[in-house]
Amino acid sequence: MSLDESVRQEITNTLESNEVVLFMKGNRRSPQCGFSATVVGILDSMLGDYHTVDVLSEPEVRDGIKTFSSWPTIPQLYVKGEFVGGCDIIQEMMGSGELYETLGLEPVEVVQPNIIVTESAAGALTQAAAEHGGGGRELHLSVDAAFQSNLSIAPRTPADIEAIVSGNNAELTLLLDPMSASRADGITIDVADTPNGQAFQVDNPNAPRVQQMSVGDLKAAIDAGNPMEILDVRTPEERAIAAIPGAALLNEGEAARIEAMPRDTKLVLHCHHGGRSQQAAEQFVSLGFTQVFNVVGGIDAWSQEIDPDVPRY
Amino acid sequence: MALQILNAGPPPEDVAEQIRAAIAGKLPEAAIEVRPQGPGHFEITVTDVAFDGLNRVKQQQLVYGAITELMAGQNPAVHAIDRLECLVP
Repeated sequence: MSLDESVRQEITNTLESNEVVLFMKGNRRSPQCGFSATVVGILDSMLGDYHTVDVLSEPEVRDGIKTFSSWPTIPQLYVKGEFVGGCDIIQEMMGSGELYETLGLEPVEVVQPNIIVTESAAGALTQAAAEHGGGGRELHLSVDAAFQSNLSIAPRTPADIEAIVSGNNAELTLLLDPMSASRADGITIDVADTPNGQAFQVDNPNAPRVQQMSVGDLKAAIDAGNPMEILDVRTPEERAIAAIPGAALLNEGEAARIEAMPRDTKLVLHCHHGGRSQQAAEQFVSLGFTQVFNVVGGIDAWSQEIDPDVPRY
Repeated sequence: MALQILNAGPPPEDVAEQIRAAIAGKLPEAAIEVRPQGPGHFEITVTDVAFDGLNRVKQQQLVYGAITELMAGQNPAVHAIDRLECLVP
């Protein structure tokens, strides 16, 4: 099948303007096929930002990319314009450690993370490993770029790193891929009672948290011209009454623009008093943003401490 | 609404021959084995000196590139290659 010139051009443009491109079914937030989801999971654990093309919404690209790459399946990963592979190959490259180099990432320093597993968690993990493990399948802990943790039982790969486990008397082997290991030092794994029964609870001290910023610090940062996105999470009605200069209303379009930005972009969120913006800030942290600030006291504090011309309401 | 008839289409042996011929067209020196696995599903083993020095992706691209036409479109004769082995003699 010949490749339509306009489709070839579209694909070429996409590859030229984005260093890492994943042609997939669905998008990063909601993959529409298991293979695409697997690759998204791997890339999310390594990269804050990368470009995806949903072939389901572009049928001509769906067929075109297969001809373009001489590869019959989706997903397909490209780095710097070069075809890297599909799901199987990316999983293999992740396991061997080769993928870090391909993605232009610093080789992850091989550190054995210290992980505390409580007595009760160790019991449950040992039982799970005994039931589902064996045949080279062992207990794994992964920590993705958004610091979401996941426990699984999977084959050991050459790149896996063994955690130094303490806090219990069981003989427990816990494996992590190098990227996860670099985010996992100091993690505590416990068992907690939830409404749905017992569940593992992973507490990671390395996980980014929402930081608090005073209106004074915000004023200083604005005056210094520090690059940041100031986001107003209030309603348009409230904004009509009073606004902090330079702040953008966080509507749907703005949210989509921010979500596409590099994960180390500095985000400063404010509302009326600091409650709603704290919640919104936590959302952005869960999306993997690492520099997220909540303005303490909101615009009300701004009116009182910085600019009395901004009306209070 | 028309029912999709899963077993419709050319006999797997004929499609296997088309696959073999398509690969032979691009890799004339290759030893090619195509094994039908079920309607539209195939396993392929190709042995060729042309694979020497290429990584696995590049090797498989040579083969997939040859059979793209058979895999394209709404209801292609080749639905999936369950396994593709590229060997250097």
